[in-house]
Amino acid sequence: MGEEVKKLTIICRCNDVTLEDIVSAVNAGIDNFEVLRKYLRIGFGPCQGRSCIVLAARIYSRLTGVKLNEALSDYKVRPPIVPVPARVLLAGG
Amino acid sequence: MRVVIVGGGISGLFTAYELWKRGIRDIVVLEERYLGSGGSTRNIGCFRSSFTSPEHVLLMKRSIELWLKYRDELNLQLKQSGYLWIARRLETLDVFKKLAAFHGEYGVPTRVVDPDKAEQIQPGLNRKAVVGALFDPTAGRMPVLENIVKLYLKLKSLRVVFHFYTKVLRLHASNYRVKSATTSRGVVDGDVFVVAAGGRGTRELLSSINVEFPVVDETRHPVITEPYTEVIRPALIIDWDTPGAPYVTQTEHGGLIFARNISDAHEAPITSHRIDVIGTTIKPIIELLPALRYVNILRYWIGYYETTLDHHPVYGPVQPYENLFVAAGFSGHGLMMGPVTGELIADWVLNGKPSIPLAENLTIERFKTGKLVKELAIVG
Repeated sequence: MGEEVKKLTIICRCNDVTLEDIVSAVNAGIDNFEVLRKYLRIGFGPCQGRSCIVLAARIYSRLTGVKLNEALSDYKVRPPIVPVPARVLLAGG
Repeated sequence: MRVVIVGGGISGLFTAYELWKRGIRDIVVLEERYLGSGGSTRNIGCFRSSFTSPEHVLLMKRSIELWLKYRDELNLQLKQSGYLWIARRLETLDVFKKLAAFHGEYGVPTRVVDPDKAEQIQPGLNRKAVVGALFDPTAGRMPVLENIVKLYLKLKSLRVVFHFYTKVLRLHASNYRVKSATTSRGVVDGDVFVVAAGGRGTRELLSSINVEFPVVDETRHPVITEPYTEVIRPALIIDWDTPGAPYVTQTEHGGLIFARNISDAHEAPITSHRIDVIGTTIKPIIELLPALRYVNILRYWIGYYETTLDHHPVYGPVQPYENLFVAAGFSGHGLMMGPVTGELIADWVLNGKPSIPLAENLTIERFKTGKLVKELAIVG
């Protein structure tokens, strides 16, 4: 894949993380998917990883040879899953 | 000389960095899970030296100096935008005046401000709820995940060896020297051992060589929102007069983080679901900043305050062993103390004593002698 395409290919749409960002981070020496995810903030946005996490993990797996299930073994889904207005949660507090 | 560091978090990393700078080349870091997977990547990234014991104030002053030095050296990110401690009750202002005078003695320029000034520092404050505030302009915040990765990549380039997913199960000693560590992936020999494995991890490991370390991992539940443009001006706003000292900070990426000390089952699993804590956590802050009722909550996560009996860390040599050192029990302040932790542990390992003499008060001996250090300003 050409360098221009890597720059234009968005993997995490919430935080504008591109394919090139992931490749560069792996080349820089980041050797764990959970650390990579935290460094680039993949899955930290409003989608909570629903649209990007498997995509990013597959790219990481392909680049490093680490199995997909191993790459995702430290990933945790955290409630409330979808963005909830503070005033709604206040009622329960 | 080989130094084995147990714990791949901020304390272990800065200890490795400081030892490398002083000429140690054979450094092995053993981490139970992944980089910074304990408290180091679960905290909110804030720092201050406005504590209430001389030990904490002086150590954190030095730590902030070192953070600023490393910002340039390692291209880290951090910003000194201040802490604003909100008083709701008039009596609290007297406490704040005493604290400001105490901080002044140690060269930390905190000051008491009236509600007008507090509102200038943080626009939108609810004047009806606030009688004044204490402002510490030297405090600040940082993007934690970015900084710890940069430090890690630097250490890798210096050939510090890391073994992840390697849990240290036992230490083995003879003639008052630790000889080796049995891990989940084999035995590691070393000349010096430094244990910086958080609260429970350090406690369990030290118990394998009959050293008692009284510490409890207290559960915390920080809550983060969707990203917004800058709404929280200081690094941290703390509601001093509400139980559990709720606070709010805004990350470099725009998310607002709320947290509060809510009594909970200690050492609860890191994945336990407590959605009920969100409302209790955010409610007092929304009283102070009513516009925040319109933010959207994204998620919460769990971290620990590795809390000691006197809310101070445990540093330095572990008697009766000659080559065993500890850095743990930070009681919520491990990230901010990271650089001074590295400096002090390297001092003890290489010179036998710390460069800041007051740090001698923080050895594990104090739990035997009963000379605990008093600290009042523990937040969230």
